[in-house]
Amino acid sequence: MSENLCPKVNMGNEDWDPEVITRMIILGPGARVSESEIVGEFHMLGLPLTIKNTCYGSMISGKKDDVLKAIEEIRKLDPPHIFTKERGFAPGDPRRCRGHRFGPREGFHQMEKEYTILGYVAEALENPKEVTVEEKKPVKVDDFKEIMNECLEKNKL
Amino acid sequence: MVKVAIYPPNSLILADLIERKGHTPLVLQKQIRQKIKDPEIDSPPMNITEEDPIKGLKYAAIEVPSGVRGRMSIIGPLIDDAEAAIIVDGAPFGFGCIGCARTNELSIFLLRNRDIPVLELKYPTNQDETYVMVNEINEFIDSLEETEGE
Repeated sequence: MSENLCPKVNMGNEDWDPEVITRMIILGPGARVSESEIVGEFHMLGLPLTIKNTCYGSMISGKKDDVLKAIEEIRKLDPPHIFTKERGFAPGDPRRCRGHRFGPREGFHQMEKEYTILGYVAEALENPKEVTVEEKKPVKVDDFKEIMNECLEKNKL
Repeated sequence: MVKVAIYPPNSLILADLIERKGHTPLVLQKQIRQKIKDPEIDSPPMNITEEDPIKGLKYAAIEVPSGVRGRMSIIGPLIDDAEAAIIVDGAPFGFGCIGCARTNELSIFLLRNRDIPVLELKYPTNQDETYVMVNEINEFIDSLEETEGE
């Protein structure tokens, strides 16, 4: 397992460049575009980017200005359902890539958890409306006593 | 443009909502990227340099475990840069990336003490609560724009 903990990395020139950033594009549930459509659209932009198709959407890497421009364009396809997130590691980096790590990458669990409410967030962005939520209050002691006595009486019968 | 610290610092939803409004979320991934692109570190982020726990001393006392100080050396600069903060509390296990409850507490404490506008929310569990969270975040960010305009 030691190779799993500290894999050797042969980083290219681009990987060392501090100007180069990586972004994850994540499609929320109910998105009107598919992962492959997004990747196709990125290619059509003609920007100097590294594009990777993934199960949740795609990942792009390139100079900061190009990446931000590409994201601005791609968001236009389906603004409420396309979410983006920074990523520290480059696409396919063996220290993070699932294919080399014998298990889910760090950060996957966070994304998995957030994905459960991503659909609601997309809906809130698409159809904004005022909602009030009733705060849950503890049961009063008298009420609790009453319920308890009722239950006890029932059990006696 | 306002620099907004978020908690958990790698949250997709919080970072995205802030960016949609044209502000800068202070996310942990940017700090990690700096480490990765540092040629002096062999296998980041497994390795930290001896400098990191020393940097962490700015945020935590010497008696505090080195793990907390090491983590604070990465998260601390984000807290220093913050001009506003959004903290999501009561998140389920696994929501967040710090892997250390004490660092979580210390980071939230430092954000609260920074004398910057702070929005504290509860992690939503259903659709209505998510609506409330999104609305509150949008209102908070709009209020930042107003204060920035003044």
